[in-house]
Amino acid sequence: MMESVKRIVRISIPLILICIVSGATLTVSNDLTKERIAGVEQRKVNESLSMIFPGASFNKTGDYYTALMNGEEIGYAFIAQGKGYSGTIKTMVGMYQNGTIDGIYVISQLETPGLGTRIAEPDFTNQFSGKRIEDIRLRQDGGLIDSITGATISSRAITEIVRTRAEVVVNETR
Amino acid sequence: MKLDELTKGLFKYNPIFYLLLGLCPLLAVSTRVDNALGMSLAVLFVLVGSNVIISLLRQWIPPEVRIPCFIVVIASFVTIVDLFMYGYAPDLHERLGIYVPLIVVNCIILGRAEAFASKKSVSHSLLDGIGMGIGFMLGIVAIASVREVLSTGAMTIFGYTVIPGLTQTPAMVMLLPPGAFFTIAIIMALINYTTIRRARRR
Repeated sequence: MMESVKRIVRISIPLILICIVSGATLTVSNDLTKERIAGVEQRKVNESLSMIFPGASFNKTGDYYTALMNGEEIGYAFIAQGKGYSGTIKTMVGMYQNGTIDGIYVISQLETPGLGTRIAEPDFTNQFSGKRIEDIRLRQDGGLIDSITGATISSRAITEIVRTRAEVVVNETR
Repeated sequence: MKLDELTKGLFKYNPIFYLLLGLCPLLAVSTRVDNALGMSLAVLFVLVGSNVIISLLRQWIPPEVRIPCFIVVIASFVTIVDLFMYGYAPDLHERLGIYVPLIVVNCIILGRAEAFASKKSVSHSLLDGIGMGIGFMLGIVAIASVREVLSTGAMTIFGYTVIPGLTQTPAMVMLLPPGAFFTIAIIMALINYTTIRRARRR
């Protein structure tokens, strides 16, 4: 009994120490790159805003942006994110005041290359333009979005992420 | 000879063409030369770092838990690369996507840790890491050059046009996974052909 306890301690201590050192190193690396990465992400957000409402200016209200064209409100833009097939899908969504979607633009995703990554391509994302929120569902779920062959999980994930978030924002802006 | 540890990875025991390791990132990332360069620099850094650290700790890591220890060391280096690449080369990071974190399970790196660094001295492991890393780079860049030229008719490395557009109708198949297999097979056949011929002559 005593022997096996000793053995477990003997083999776990080096692994524990390696994990502690690794954790410390990664904390330092994270601190060193935190600001740069925040800058990169902010730039991506700004880029995606101008893709959604080209030429508009934006006011940040709470957790969504109000898009203004010549001083007049034309719609809202907001980030919708959630779990995809692998990793988080983060997308910018533009919505008109009457609750129809203006368009979506995928900011980041980690889906399967060549299959799930196609959710970020215009062939897929253009389908969202002009749709009402309740139609933002896959066709097999009773909506108007065609899923990508071989990537139903990714297609459903982004569709659900966009709709759920849009429903929340619609209620907030009313 | 110590220098052998460095040069063996370049040609004689090239990780791609001789050891046939790390083929999954190879297939995925070798569509463009600049992706291949970025990927192989990341692999080189992780390989050299993990080889040195694992060799330093080799007498101290209990054999029963050596694989978890290796993986923690390798994963730490990969995370460092991932963070810095995201901060300083965001475009490259986006193009390589999931293949940066996947370096953790690249069999070249775990293979060298298990087969070499855990048994040899620090200086030998350092040279082995550099050699194998550059060997991987040579292999992946060679394959990417063939694929990029054939699939787009041109070659652009980090914004610089190296080869201008040669054709309006490039071979799209070279961009897809079969193109990678064709290229690897043809290069490997050429290498084997010359090695066998040379051996016969002796």
